[in-house]
Amino acid sequence: MKKILERVIAEVIDHKAEGDLILSTAKSLKLSSQRGAVSEYKISSSQILGVRVIKDDRVGIAYTEATDDESLRFMIKKALQNSEITEPNPDERLLKLSGDLLDDVSYDEAPVDIALKTRKAIELETRVRELDPRVVAVPYNSFNENEYHSLYLSSRGRFTSYSDKSYSITSSALLDDNGKKANFYDFHLAHRFKDLKWDKVTQTALLHAKNLLGETTLPTGRYHVRFTPDCLKSLFDCFGNFYSAKCAIDKVNPWADQLGQVVAAPDLTITDDPNPGGCFRHSRFDDEGVEKKALTLVKDGVLSSLIHTSVTAKKLGTQTTGHASRGPTTSMNVSGTHYVIQGKNHRPLPDRYLQVIQMDGLYSGANRVSGTFSVAVKGYLWENGERKLTFGNVTLSGNFLELLRNVEVAGEKLEASTDESFFSVPLIFGGLSIAGA
Amino acid sequence: MQLIQSNIAQDLIHEGLAHGADFVEVYVERTQNEALVFTNSRAEDTQSGTIFGIGIRLIHGHQALYGYTNSTEREELLRITRLLAARIGKTGAAPAPLNFERQAYPKIPVLPDRDVDAKYKLSFLKNIDTILRQDARTSQVVLNFIKKKQLVEVYNSDGIFATEERPYIRLAHQLVMKDGGLQSQAFFGPGAIGGWEFMEKLDTRENCENLLRQATTTLYAAPCPAGKMPVVIDNAFGGVIFHEACGHLLETTSVEKKASVFWDKMGEQIAHRSLSAVDDGTISGEWGSLSIDDEGMPTQKTKLIENGILRNFIADRLGEIKTGHKRTGSARRQSYKFAPASRMRNTFIERGPHEFSELIASVPSGLYAKKMGGGSVDPSTGQFNFSVQEAYLIKDGKITTPVKGATLIGTGPEVMTKISMVGKDLALMAGMCGSVSGSIPTTVGQPPIKVDEILVGGEA
Repeated sequence: MKKILERVIAEVIDHKAEGDLILSTAKSLKLSSQRGAVSEYKISSSQILGVRVIKDDRVGIAYTEATDDESLRFMIKKALQNSEITEPNPDERLLKLSGDLLDDVSYDEAPVDIALKTRKAIELETRVRELDPRVVAVPYNSFNENEYHSLYLSSRGRFTSYSDKSYSITSSALLDDNGKKANFYDFHLAHRFKDLKWDKVTQTALLHAKNLLGETTLPTGRYHVRFTPDCLKSLFDCFGNFYSAKCAIDKVNPWADQLGQVVAAPDLTITDDPNPGGCFRHSRFDDEGVEKKALTLVKDGVLSSLIHTSVTAKKLGTQTTGHASRGPTTSMNVSGTHYVIQGKNHRPLPDRYLQVIQMDGLYSGANRVSGTFSVAVKGYLWENGERKLTFGNVTLSGNFLELLRNVEVAGEKLEASTDESFFSVPLIFGGLSIAGA
Repeated sequence: MQLIQSNIAQDLIHEGLAHGADFVEVYVERTQNEALVFTNSRAEDTQSGTIFGIGIRLIHGHQALYGYTNSTEREELLRITRLLAARIGKTGAAPAPLNFERQAYPKIPVLPDRDVDAKYKLSFLKNIDTILRQDARTSQVVLNFIKKKQLVEVYNSDGIFATEERPYIRLAHQLVMKDGGLQSQAFFGPGAIGGWEFMEKLDTRENCENLLRQATTTLYAAPCPAGKMPVVIDNAFGGVIFHEACGHLLETTSVEKKASVFWDKMGEQIAHRSLSAVDDGTISGEWGSLSIDDEGMPTQKTKLIENGILRNFIADRLGEIKTGHKRTGSARRQSYKFAPASRMRNTFIERGPHEFSELIASVPSGLYAKKMGGGSVDPSTGQFNFSVQEAYLIKDGKITTPVKGATLIGTGPEVMTKISMVGKDLALMAGMCGSVSGSIPTTVGQPPIKVDEILVGGEA
């Protein structure tokens, strides 16, 4: 595969241009079950190659899924043509990096028989049905096995290789109790088959679905709110533009001119860490071939850095932070790795707060420029340390800018999202608006 | 020119049938994509590329076996077919050699697929950018132009060979406004199955004025009050509420698993008697139109609800096998990387008898949702949520002050029974729909409708 990349790069150089390539290949297996039998069996193998050419300060991108000579030549031609359309951007240059960076993790595991995979996949459905007679369907259930390999080569001689293998399992429970319905799903990721937590996903899905059968609305008003790590991750991901230097340049980042200013509660520190303890998969280098390092974004409530590529860094007069993100078909952007939210204070838990376990409609209900959001939520009402009731059929409204300033309680122990890509101490936010009865 | 040789497709189908499959299908796709992003008043990003691949599906009983690859090599395709067939675990009688018959079907008229050169496209986009920036409060304009040509071929063990070329074009406008500490956004994303002629037909000035009005209104709007109230939802993208709250629940993908609240309601009253709705893949030039679906079946106009009574589900082949409801030419997928599933095409509530002014006049106190944003639904419970991009309060039968931050939540079955008035002025709007078989172009639409009561999320 590397030889294909070298051949394409040589041709790019022949055109008196510089450029870089990303080749992604993937293999996958998916199994789903319905009524105790496999209903879906899906296998795949695919590849895609993308080139970015830079000529006369202009950038063009093209890609192909075929790697025969004709397709590769056509891809280069299209990239060069595309570069003629764009405006010159002298800030977008290849970095003077060379040498190899390899991040190919091998997980020691004996081959797993397909019969075992099939049996366990079916159990993701049947176990849920066995556990409660009110289960009428297990609408989301699947076993997935994925292998991914990505190669990068620049005309400056930087070569990187990243490969990974993972398994994921999903289960759900749709309950019907005299016409009242509730559904919840859970999932788990692992690098080895033996590490998959089969019982955890079936039991968690059923537990929350059972609780949601009893959901009731809440009186409209203002509440203290605690989010599960998965819901908090969704919020931080949705407003990821707040840390993005690219979004600052594009004038869609409300923190664009807030460096050194207070943007969050004084005891909150937010770090972007490529390799925090307990993460599912560390990340060694970005898509410009730059090695990644932990970066403090917010220190004790003060915005200390945005995340950069070499392009945004040049534009804003700073250094790249190693957060370039590009796929074979896409142009250069920035993206974070793992957010780690830390901070503590000694305030006691409020007597009464909501624990949000499910949020729906965040991306359509959020304004990423103003920070406002309004979403449908479900969860539990806690009073004096006891779970009092399960709520649903309500909306939660707020503003992410204000949310970060209104941290009432920040705990000590980091909790991970289910996909082990986001870490936060427990946080309770004050004064969020609930619309219900 | 065919994308693969017919005899290779024949071999794959033969191999699948010989191993006991009830049905075998080969889906071949080549899509040429072009994208141009115009932002910061300049062409910042251009991309183009070709997607090519082959998906092989075997059906055995209620089991679907699917594999895909970029390779056109006969041996690699046979290897995948054998891997899939091994799941069936039996050998059937060797089938007779298959002769494909080209599927005859009426071609849905599409707008001409004329192209223009890059300079012309750039001047077109520059003009929009200039108009939108005439307002000093405009802080950013992002114009995302996409054009793609999807060529599909479907071969199956019924002896069908069907092919279609689908040209798509879309221009998404995003406007960001700022005034002091206030910020707002507005979005408009017209699209069609067709070529550049569609862009020429757009009324650029009117569209820009609407975007500026929407962003300005939202910029200074007060927070929306929360609570249950009557809501008048305007036409065009207002139809997203029917798409999410009802359309997804009528797809056999959900019905077959009993994961839709409507799975056993065929022939029953599921909506207010004033409501009739269709899913129509045959409308000339519409973003969700197709001549054939992704199983090679000619598409059709499907009556979903007639005067509130459920008349049809949206069905694909597997849905028909599992539920007994006839296929409706609705099997769709994002690409060869997805097995087909029952999906919506152009889905809308049909015209009613009322003037818009009658709907507004009937509301003593409520909300007018002029422009809807996106939303989502859990088909198994019917629970949905939608954001509202542009909204106004209604007081004493009159539209009054603008409000922002409104969200509508509820359940499909409940809201369908509360649509009590349907207007005359039907309009459609392009959108993208994400579900089990990926992200596909769909059209939503409706005339203005009045919902007697819905929970509006806003500021408490």
